[in-house]
Amino acid sequence: MDHREQQLIDKINDGFMVESEEDMTPGYKKALLTQLTVQGDTELMSAPAYYLATRDAPTINSRIAVTAIVHDELGHANIAYRIMEDLGVDKQQLVYGRQPHEFKHPYGFDQPLENWAEMVVANGFFDRAGITLLGDVHQHTSYGPLKRALVKVDREEVLHLRHGESWMKRLAKAGGEAREALQRAVDWMFLMTLEWFGLPDDLKRHSGQLAYRLKGKTNDQLRQTWMAATVPLCEGIGIDVPAHWDDARQEYVIDCPFPCQYDPAAKRWLHDEPLTWDQVFERWKARGPMNERYVEMVQGNGGIFGGRRW
Amino acid sequence: MVTAAQVWEALKGVSDPEYPLSIVDLGMVYDVRVDGDTVQVDVTFTSIGCPAIDMITADVHSAVAAVPGVSRVQLEVVWSPPWTKDRITERGWKVLGMYGVAN
Repeated sequence: MDHREQQLIDKINDGFMVESEEDMTPGYKKALLTQLTVQGDTELMSAPAYYLATRDAPTINSRIAVTAIVHDELGHANIAYRIMEDLGVDKQQLVYGRQPHEFKHPYGFDQPLENWAEMVVANGFFDRAGITLLGDVHQHTSYGPLKRALVKVDREEVLHLRHGESWMKRLAKAGGEAREALQRAVDWMFLMTLEWFGLPDDLKRHSGQLAYRLKGKTNDQLRQTWMAATVPLCEGIGIDVPAHWDDARQEYVIDCPFPCQYDPAAKRWLHDEPLTWDQVFERWKARGPMNERYVEMVQGNGGIFGGRRW
Repeated sequence: MVTAAQVWEALKGVSDPEYPLSIVDLGMVYDVRVDGDTVQVDVTFTSIGCPAIDMITADVHSAVAAVPGVSRVQLEVVWSPPWTKDRITERGWKVLGMYGVAN
């Protein structure tokens, strides 16, 4: 590693906060931009997924709640892109100039949410993953502008989470078809979220994001944090999940082959087809069934208004 | 015998879902009336399209129902007079300031 890079890492380890581009090395800036792209794209692509599902809201109040969540997510995306803009990235090009497969959001936001149970489990599981990841960034990041921007983002994500979890409890209590739909949603969305946290630590190559303190916890630690909230929630409402707390290992253990193949049309995990992480990355790269539709919903068909800077 | 003061105290435990700030400090509770074991609470929201109406009304119901002697809770959502930020208490401003969203 270049001498300047190591110098910056040492400074950061002593508590130095990066405030401007002059404080950065090329390696730091690249790692930060990658992190912000994933962060912004994830927020942005949750919006069309949630937006289509607002149709399934069972009451006016819950429809207001989900449309407000869509509104928040667009705002959060805008914050990440705005920080990138301050570092010389063209925000307009980022949002309107990329092809669908070039966005860096997780595979989970390439999937259709087709009923109210799937919508609220998305809030309960996906937004919990968002809080787990962004909460860690907020706590540990060495980049001052991002740390400050995340205060409001984190508070709003808490509201999304509470919306999801309280509805999951209501659907479980209602029983019958509502409960069955909830279980079916959990069945595909639980592993979908676990995958989101990425490569396990023993396979992880050198992580620039950890070295530059752009995040604090490793992928496996974050996956554990997510399960520590989600597994007890589901157990408490009598919904099955393929994971449990292991007393001997003092951690949550996944009870099925992980990672494994996913059939997006049937929304089913194929436990008899375990995958390597390289194969998972291939599946992610090929993108999921809603990728083009969601990107089209965000970019729109500007017609005579398209392609201009307003 | 339930008193209005007990109900107000219970309502201080109902927080806004985003900030650890009670709906009392936000100035969202307009009136509390006690009639025997029945409690009526008038609550407003900071906007008509407030996404947290369901959550907050559920929380108000359970917080007030937990006051000893209360057997009925009637919650009325009211919009007059409209809520403004002037209704936030001094304590409320301090908490919002601590979370970096107010001066």
